[in-house]
Formats: sequence, structure tokens, C-alpha cells
Amino acid sequence: MIFALLQRIAQMLFVMFGISVLVFLIFFATPGTDPAARIAGRNASPEVLEAVRRSFGFDQPMYVQYLTMMKKIFITGDLTSFVNRGWKVVPAVMDTIPVTLSLVFGAAILWVVFALIIGIVAAATRGSWVDKTLMMLGLIGISMPVYWLGEVMNLLSQNRYHDTWIFSWVPPLGYKNFSDDPKGWFLTLVIPWITLSILYIGLYGRVLRAAIVESLQEDYIRTARAKGLSETRILLRHALRTSLVAFVTLFGLDFGALVGGSALLTEVVFGLQGLGKLTYDALLNLDLPIIMTTVLYASFFVVMANAVVDLLYMLLDPRVRTA
Amino acid sequence: MKKWMLAGAAALTIALPAISPAHAEYKAEHRGGTMRLVARSAAGTLDPQINYTLQYWQIYQGLYDGLVAFKKANGTDGFTKVPDLAEAIPEPTNDGKTYVFKIRKGIKFANGQDLTVKDVVASLQRIFKVSSPTAGGFFSVIVGADKCLADAKSCTLEGGVTGDEAAGTVTINLTQPDAEFMDKLALPHAAILPANAPAEDAGSNPIPGTGAYFVQSYDPNKGMTMARNPNFKVWSEDAQPDGYPDVIQYDFGLTDEAEVNAVMNGEADWMFDQPPTDRLGEIGTKYKDQVYLNTLTAWWYAPMNTRLAPFDNIKARQAVNYAIDRKALVNLFGGPVLASPVCQVLPPGFPGHEDYCPYSKDPGTKWSAPDMDKAKQLVEESGTKGQKVTVIAEDTAVSKSIGVYLQSMLKEIGYDAEVKPISPNIEFTYIQNTNNKVQISVTQWYQDYPAASDFLYILFGCESFKEGSDSSINISGF
Repeated sequence: MIFALLQRIAQMLFVMFGISVLVFLIFFATPGTDPAARIAGRNASPEVLEAVRRSFGFDQPMYVQYLTMMKKIFITGDLTSFVNRGWKVVPAVMDTIPVTLSLVFGAAILWVVFALIIGIVAAATRGSWVDKTLMMLGLIGISMPVYWLGEVMNLLSQNRYHDTWIFSWVPPLGYKNFSDDPKGWFLTLVIPWITLSILYIGLYGRVLRAAIVESLQEDYIRTARAKGLSETRILLRHALRTSLVAFVTLFGLDFGALVGGSALLTEVVFGLQGLGKLTYDALLNLDLPIIMTTVLYASFFVVMANAVVDLLYMLLDPRVRTA
Repeated sequence: MKKWMLAGAAALTIALPAISPAHAEYKAEHRGGTMRLVARSAAGTLDPQINYTLQYWQIYQGLYDGLVAFKKANGTDGFTKVPDLAEAIPEPTNDGKTYVFKIRKGIKFANGQDLTVKDVVASLQRIFKVSSPTAGGFFSVIVGADKCLADAKSCTLEGGVTGDEAAGTVTINLTQPDAEFMDKLALPHAAILPANAPAEDAGSNPIPGTGAYFVQSYDPNKGMTMARNPNFKVWSEDAQPDGYPDVIQYDFGLTDEAEVNAVMNGEADWMFDQPPTDRLGEIGTKYKDQVYLNTLTAWWYAPMNTRLAPFDNIKARQAVNYAIDRKALVNLFGGPVLASPVCQVLPPGFPGHEDYCPYSKDPGTKWSAPDMDKAKQLVEESGTKGQKVTVIAEDTAVSKSIGVYLQSMLKEIGYDAEVKPISPNIEFTYIQNTNNKVQISVTQWYQDYPAASDFLYILFGCESFKEGSDSSINISGF
């Protein structure tokens, strides 16, 4: 157990190191990125450019710049943005976490509940029109790009039908703090939750159905039937349980990635100032300190989520425990 | 000035404090409340002596003052210079090289400090101490500026700027007469700040100013709150009028589509970014009561590199000029209400602009139609036919569509053209660097101050060409 944990931590450090070096090198290899030229604006004289560049530390060797940046992220925590100078990056990232967590948790609840229902119903009625309709809907859900769906939702709820009874409850875009205004928090997030979860409901529903159908062919199901268990019990207690392994694997990866900032498009479309939006803006502005911090944060979450998934396997599938 | 976030010539707006009729009754009636502005994102440091974006220069108008200011008025009236923190605009003496400003008394900064001669002297030094973007360009004409540019930290502008506290005057000496010095002093980079303002980029920490408002809070990821400056009293209606709203809330983070929706739904009063072209129809019809047009003097252009083939050939450049359908470009931008075709550098209505257009089917004062036959013939004559041309455009709807148009036009007159849209945040620096070998690109230029040299001298001056630098706006060293 301890060995596994250490292995995970070593893996995580390796991944984070690799990614940070890559991000760093890509930034400096991209033409037109000199933040000094962009801060100094048009037609800055060479002396001014040089002074600004020195203030960013760009006159130092590459590895010194890299180490300084890492020190500022992990030890002193006072890394500042290249674009909005003086803006501390670490607190800025911390500020966005509640927004992203609110979005992703809510969406995750929706997609787990609905995917379970769809997967189970479809598997129980496999071959029938109910199954086929559900699977088709699932496919449509998977096929809709989230930014497009988000914009359509906005078009309907903020523009075309904003003043009708269907959408008059929809508040202006943007995030409201749960502690200040719980109702506002909930209302602003309803549409983003639905938008973000539709893809996953479709995907997870289909995966779950396939897994249940497959496990229904297994020997232990035949044994259960031979014991005289009811079909419902077999489905829910035996087939579903082992089928959840695939479900949980996927969930862990997706959830980790989303918390790490992959809900980017949803956040941008709905004007939610979460981690994804911060990353997006930083990418547009080529703001290396923010890109670096958010990428490190994201990789940390993805690796962590994987570790949690491995633990869950053990709980779900008795075979993993003995192995 | 180059604006990082694209904003068009028009914006959805309700009356801004600076542009409304100044009747006392009207003022009293409209006073109070919160005005909500929205923009895609923040625009960098809040330091008025460093920030060089239109987005923040707009809000600095109500936050800071210089010795002189542009009159807060609509249209070309706004080109007039009026005394602001100075009592009057001084006549130059010493062959146009010396100006003596008398500083107004009784003005306070938002933090309660009195404005003194010391603050003025320190602020002019600070331009160099914080390496303001225009320190080398606009203000190098001050005596002692060369030393300050070489060593910013110990800048004193000795012999250049001297204050006389007893007389309440500040004397500025120039190395040579500069007809545009007052324009330059009216820019936010020459804003007067307290003498104890930090001698480095203040970043996200607002520096108190003398304007009608002050920045109460600022978070580049969320927004900015500006409230009435408690120490503000009107001293010049023209230079720094009192504002209508009690609070100005500037929120960041909505997409341009969402900004349009917010204004339409009455959730916001004004948007900074250019409304997406697919929404213009709706804005112009259903919501036309909410639209106010204010002209921005800007110029969209496609710089051709005179040092790279095929545009090192004058005939090739002329061919492009004859072939461009300027009307099509105007439509790509949003139609004739928002833009107009020109054959020259200076935008219409700008000082020095005279209608003139040789590159047209029937040359004269106005552009009429493209002359494709002539263009094709010029390409033949130049011997550059069939060469490869890459158009660099910004990855925004308008710029990209102009890039694609240029590509099809170049193909039609005989070039092998392709278009490469790149992120709007690096396009402008990318096209300037000679190392990137950009043949032709799509970009735009906004005025800093209303004078022809702000376009001509800067875009084509030798000082604006630095080989291998991201800051070399005279791209080909023309």
C-alpha cells in the first residue's frame, strides 16, 4: 500500500516536471511571445524594451528562469502574471477553484444519476425500442460539441426566449458566490450543469449499457440465475456492480480532468470565472506564469483522480482485491 | 496605439458621463446609480503611465488628469486641447523649447493628498523610471531624457523639468521645438500621480488619481469597481467633468455574444468589444434605440513588405491596391455605418485627411470600384506572377474574413496565396519581427492623439524599424 502510494507520488512528480518543462520550452519557442514587446506596446524604443525585459528577468539563462518560476510557484507563492503585472498567480488560481468545483460537482451528480438510469433501463430492455431510443439520444448527446450547445442554450435563454415564462428565471451570465446568494448560485449554474453533463450522460449511458450486457453473459450470472435470484436482483446487484468498474474508471479520468480545467469551454461560454476560463484567457494572452500554474494544477488532479480510481476498483471488484 | 482586444468603430452604449449634454438639470436628474460595463477580459496593468490599451485609456479619462487634456466632447470637438491640472496652456518661449505651467491650487488626489508641484515633477520623472512604453518615443524630447532612458532608476530629468513650489509653476525644457508636445502631455502616460507612487509598475494596485472616480477594487479575472472620488470638485467642465453614476462596475469574462445579450437584456449598459457581425442586423433594427455611434479614428490596413518578394516590386504592390474591393472589406467589417473605404493612411475626419484615391476604376477623390484588368496587367508586367504569398491575419471573425478575402483576391490576380490566422494576441508582434518574414498581413492602427504624425511618422519613420525585434512597426523599414 505504502509502496503504491510512493509510486503514485513519484509518477505525479515526473508528469508535472515533464509538463512544466514542455510548457516552458514551447512558450519560448513560439514567435511573437516576448511579453516585454507586448507590455511596452507599439513602437517602444530599444532602451525601454530592454528595461522591461530586465524587469521580467528575461536576460537570465533559460534554466535560471525556469527554476525561479518553480520557486515562485511552490515555495514563495508570489509568482506574478506577465500580462496583468502585479497580479499574483497562485491566489488567482485558488480563487477559481470554488467556481470550477461548483460547476463540475453539479454536472457530475447529474451525469452519474442520469447515466445510471439510462444504462440500466437500456440494458434491461435491450433490443427493444426503449433501448434503441435511449442509445440514439445518447449518441446525439455525445455528438454535440459543448461550446455549440452552450451558445445555443445562451441564444435561447438569454436572447430569443429570455422574456418568456420558460427562461425568465435565468439570471445574467456569470458566477455568484454560494455564501452570498445560494439561490443565485444555483440558478446561474443550472444551465451550465445541464450543458456540461449532456455529453457525459450519453457517453456513460452507452458504456454502462454495453458493460452490463457483457457481464450478463458471464458464468456467475448463470450461477445467480441457477440459485433462483430474481432478474432485478441479478441486474442490480451482480451485473451492475461489476459493470461499474468501467464506469468508475471513466469517471475518475473525466472528473479529474474537468476539475483540472477541462470544463474550459463551458466556463468560457457561460462567463464563469473558473480554472478553465483562467487557462483560456492565459493561453490567449500567452501569460506563461498562469499557464504554467494551471497546467501543473491540472496534471496534479488527473494523477490524483487516477489514484482514487484504483482504490475504488478494490472496493467494487473483489477480484482486484486478491490480485 | 494598438488595441489588443478588438473594438470596432461603434459600440453598444448608453450615454457615458463624458459624452452627454452638460445641462445642470439633466445632470441632477441623471445623477446616481451604477453603470455596468462589460468586456471579454482585463487589459493588463492598471498603471496609467504603463498601460497602452484603448480599453483602459477609456477609463483613465475619469480617473486621472494630466497638465492638459483633450476636451471631453463629441466628435472632432474632442480634438481640442484644454488646460487640466495646469491653469492655462502656456505659450512656448525660448524658440519653442520652454513651457511654464502654472499648477491649479486646491486639487486633491483620491487619497486626500494635495496636488503639488512636487507631484507633477515626480510624475514626469516616473514616465522614465517605470519605462513607460512611450518614454523613448514621445517624451525623449525633454532635456535630460537621454540620461533617464539609459539609466531609469536614477532619473531626475535635470534641466528638463523643474518645479518652483513658491510660484506654483513647473518648467519643462525641450531639446527641440515639438508641435505635438501638448498632445503628448494629454495622454494617460503623462498622468499626474502622487509623488510617492511606486517607482515601478504598480500592476494591479491602483494608484490614486485626481479624476472624478477612483478604483475601489480590481481583480483582472473578474472586474473593477470605480466609485466617486470623495475629494473631487469640478475645476474645469471641459477637462474633467463630474460623472453621472455613483459607481461604475466594469465586469470581465463574457464572450462578445454574451455581452451583446447582456446589453439587450438591460443587464449591462455598455460593451467594450466589437459586437459580432452576425448580431449587427438585430442591433441595428430591434435595438436601435440603444445604439450610440461614436467615431473612433482607426485605420485597418494590409502592410506589404517592401523587402520581400513579390511586394518588393512596386507594380505588385500597385496591383494589390487596384484589385482590392474596398467596399467588400467595409461590408466584412459591418457595413458603411461602421467603416468607410480609404486609399490612404489617415482616416476620414482626421486632421490632415483629404479625400484622394488613385487606386480605383476611375481615379479621383473617392474610391469607386476595383480595377481587376489593370491589376492583372501590373502583375504580368512585374514578372511576379505565380509566386507564393502568405497572408497573416488575426484569428478573429473580421480579421480572418479579410484575410480570406485577400487570399481569393491575390489568387485572382495570379498569385499562389494562402492565409494563416494566428492568435490576435501575438499577431501584432509577430508581423513586426523581420525574422518571421511576413509578406502581407491584416492589422489596424488607432490614434494616440489627433495628429497626422501619429500615423505617418510612427508607421513609416526610421525610428520605428528595428531588425529582429517584436517592436518594429515600420515592418519593412520602408
